[in-house]
Amino acid sequence: MYLVAHIDQAICSETACRLCTQYCPEANTILYDNAAKTAFVAVDRCKGCEICVGICDDLAKHHAIKMIMINDLESPFELSKEGFHPEKWDGKHP
Amino acid sequence: MSFKNISITPGWEKYMTKEYQDLVERGPYGKQKKVSEMGSFKEVLEEHPMCAGCAMTLFIRLTMVGLPNPEHTILIGTAGCGRLALTQTSIPFIYGNYGDTNAVASGLKRGLEIRFKDQAKDVVVMAGDGGLADIGFSGVMHSWFRKERFTTIMLDNEVYGNTGGQESGMTERGALLKMAPKGKMFDKMDMIGLAQTSGVAYIARLTPTNPTRVASVVRKAVLIAREVGPTFIQAYTSCNIEYAIPTPKVMDDARDIESKRYGFMEIISDEAKAYLESIEPAKKVKK
Repeated sequence: MYLVAHIDQAICSETACRLCTQYCPEANTILYDNAAKTAFVAVDRCKGCEICVGICDDLAKHHAIKMIMINDLESPFELSKEGFHPEKWDGKHP
Repeated sequence: MSFKNISITPGWEKYMTKEYQDLVERGPYGKQKKVSEMGSFKEVLEEHPMCAGCAMTLFIRLTMVGLPNPEHTILIGTAGCGRLALTQTSIPFIYGNYGDTNAVASGLKRGLEIRFKDQAKDVVVMAGDGGLADIGFSGVMHSWFRKERFTTIMLDNEVYGNTGGQESGMTERGALLKMAPKGKMFDKMDMIGLAQTSGVAYIARLTPTNPTRVASVVRKAVLIAREVGPTFIQAYTSCNIEYAIPTPKVMDDARDIESKRYGFMEIISDEAKAYLESIEPAKKVKK
C-alpha cells in the first residue's frame, strides 16, 4: 500500500492552470484531458513525491491535489494498460 | 553513399515501434511542443529509475521539451545520476567515460557536420557538476577554447549524489555532507566566469522554478550552438537525498536558493544575439 497523487477533477476543471503537468518530475504522469479541462494522474507512474501537491496548494492556490492510498482509488488510470491515446481519454474524466 | 539524411520509406511507418509512432503523431518529433501543452503530448522522456521528487529529473524533462529538434539530437553523458534518466529518452545517448564527454562531443559534432550536410544535428552534453567541473574539467575548457559547436548542460546538484555525498568543486563553502563531515573548506567554482573567459557564445544559469524559462533557455542554447559556438547552461538541480530535503519541499528549496544566491542569469554574445534575431525575427530576444 502506498500513496499516489489524486486530482479532484471538480476543482481542477474550474481552472486552466496546468501547473502540475509542468512541475511533475515524472514524464507523462500528470496527463491533461483537453475536453473535460482537467488534469489526471497515471497512477502506475506516480512515485508519490508530493511536488504537485505543493504546486497546487502554494503556487496555484487551488488545493485540488491530495495524496491518497492507491487501493482507495475508484477508477485508477494506468498508462501502461491504456497506452498514450489522448483521443480516447479526452472527455472521459468529468 | 548518399550524404542525405536517412528517412523511413513511405508506407512503412506502421512497422516502426509504438514509441516512435507516438512521438511522430502525438509527440515532439517534427514539430516543437510547448511547455503549456505538457500532459497532452507524448514526451521524449519515458519512465526512469530516478528518485521520487528529484529536481534533476524535472530539469531533464523540461530540457527534452526545449530541444528544437529532438529527432536530430544526440545526448552525451557520463557516470552520475543524470544518465539514469537520459538513457530513458527516445534520443541516442552516448555514455562517455568520466572526463571525456566534451572530447567525444567535439569529434561527434565535427563528424555529423561532414556526414549530414542537409540536416542540422544537435549534440548536447548533459552531465553533473562532478562530471563537468571536476573530472571532465580539462575536456570542457578545451572544447570551449576550440569553439566547438555543441551545448554543455551542467546538472549542478552541488554534491556527488550517486556515490554517497562527497563534496564536489561546485559544492558551496561550508556545506556539510555525509562524506564531508567538517564542511567544505573552499568556495564554489565559478564556472560562469570560466565560460566567459573562454569565449562561450551563450551562458545561462538557472533553477527549474520556471518551466517555460528552462525550455526557452535550452532552445536558445541549442540553436546558437548550431551556428555560432559553444553554449553552456548551469542548472541548480538539488539532490533531495544528500541534502535531506523532504520531497514536498523540493520546489520551495529551489525557489529559496534561486532568490538567495543562484538567480537567473543569461550572457549572450553579440554574434549569437544577431543569429537568434535572424532566425526568429518576430520574437524579441531578451538580453
